[in-house]
Amino acid sequence: MLELQPAEDIRANTTVRIDAYGFERRGDFDSYKEMMNQYVDVLNRRSMRWSKLLQEKPHVEKNFTVKRFVRKGVPHEHRAMIWMAASGAQEQLESKPGYYQSLLDMEHDTKLKETIHTDMHRTFPDNILFKSKAEPGMQKALFNVLLAYGHHNPTVGYCQGMNFIAGYLMIITKDEEKSFWLMDALVGRILPDYYTPAMLGLKTDQEVLGELVKVKAPAVGQLMAQYPGIWTLVVSRWFICLYIDVLPIETVLRVWDCLFYEGSKVLFRVALTLILHHQAEILRARSLPDVCECFKQITSGAFTLDCHTFMQKIFTEPKSLSMSTVDKLREKCRQQILKEESGHL
Amino acid sequence: MSESYDFLFKFLVIGNAGTGKSCLLHQFIEKRFKDESNHTIGVEFGSKIISVVNKMVKLQIWDTAGQERFRSVTRSYYRGAAGALLVYDITSRETYNALTTWLSDARMLASQNIVIILCGNKKDLDADREVTFLEASRFAQENELMFLETSALTGENVEEAFVQCARKILNKIESGELDPERMGSGIQYGDAALRQLRSPRRAQPQGTQECGC
Repeated sequence: MLELQPAEDIRANTTVRIDAYGFERRGDFDSYKEMMNQYVDVLNRRSMRWSKLLQEKPHVEKNFTVKRFVRKGVPHEHRAMIWMAASGAQEQLESKPGYYQSLLDMEHDTKLKETIHTDMHRTFPDNILFKSKAEPGMQKALFNVLLAYGHHNPTVGYCQGMNFIAGYLMIITKDEEKSFWLMDALVGRILPDYYTPAMLGLKTDQEVLGELVKVKAPAVGQLMAQYPGIWTLVVSRWFICLYIDVLPIETVLRVWDCLFYEGSKVLFRVALTLILHHQAEILRARSLPDVCECFKQITSGAFTLDCHTFMQKIFTEPKSLSMSTVDKLREKCRQQILKEESGHL
Repeated sequence: MSESYDFLFKFLVIGNAGTGKSCLLHQFIEKRFKDESNHTIGVEFGSKIISVVNKMVKLQIWDTAGQERFRSVTRSYYRGAAGALLVYDITSRETYNALTTWLSDARMLASQNIVIILCGNKKDLDADREVTFLEASRFAQENELMFLETSALTGENVEEAFVQCARKILNKIESGELDPERMGSGIQYGDAALRQLRSPRRAQPQGTQECGC
């Protein structure tokens, strides 16, 4: 599906290479290529299985087999379709024909337009598709999706981070309207309120992660307890950007496969795996800056680059994590935050 | 830690989205313009040791996302900041108009004594200027801020902004106006200062204790 290949022909003499999604890779292109060379076997195998599955059952159902398939990775050629079907975005798109276009045609809020505009040149400037002069220009499409979404959901409007998400959606779907409805599925249904002005869902989930760490990695929990408010510092980006620019792109897409199919719980699995797997490193941190630096380090390297193994780990390393546990913790932390915030006023 | 310094100051970089906060920090630390990068989400962090009036000062700098709703997330990092760069964009009146809010946030949440330098960034884009030097310096005076126009692109006045702010804090420490030992001052003694300041003091009480026995 993606025509873009590593552009060795254009840039053979430079150290910058372009990956299959249009991102320029400095330094890490070789390890990325090496990983992809091995991963391609997995992809081919999964691709065959998926084609067979979809031939037999063209409608993507919610059942154990499909869930297992999704966890093992959705092949690129089916990704947009599976995301659309699993998240309910397809249904929305079909039931509201012309709605997206009508949002673009209406009169727009100037302030919203300006806010989005400020971030346009700061959204993936390292991706050739998002350069302002790129043809066909993804930047214009990105702008449209965000502007339409801001008018569709005025409570949220535009929040930084949504630009990266819409960007990835455009890279995968290559379609504004699909990206818009996937955005709506994420922000409106799948995720708690991460992006509203109060960002209560985000603050809550940061604390929920802290609670889960206390149980699953008590030593790390103790270390973090020395620094009040530290979770925001180290993981707000993880949640807001849904791991974009935190984990390697191939890994992010695999996480999103599960996010669209299973829901937001997977975000905790990823965070917990990163933390559990690097406990020793984290526990060596002696100061707040040390901890911050460490939480940056643990997201890169071979462990996260090898997306297939990483995705197996997220379902084994943190062990059981039930939705009811997450729900309970969310409610508890939310109440606590609300109480603290009302105390400050 | 091998690095030696006399003081550690906690600094903030605050101001509206797109004013160049991260670029100022990058220029200060790396000495070059940060081109082609994504905007900041949440809070980022950097540090550098500088020499100010014969003292080695380590600046621990917190760079915050500028979008308004992120303030509720980043505000908790204001606490205990000794200094701040308050940044606006000279080509955007809107970013200048927002200064009052940023300022009251900083003074309320960090500390009353926080030393703030106002930075009119993007000085290199003089042709698109919407805020004059004069009005901004008046605003700075009225609000007891230091003021510089900076360019993260060319590097003009960037180091100066951080150094001037650090120098003022040092002056306040020397004059006794600021007490580094007070909780939440945003100032800590470094190893070097501890050796100089503390060791003679510590030796004395030990001596008296021994005499008392």
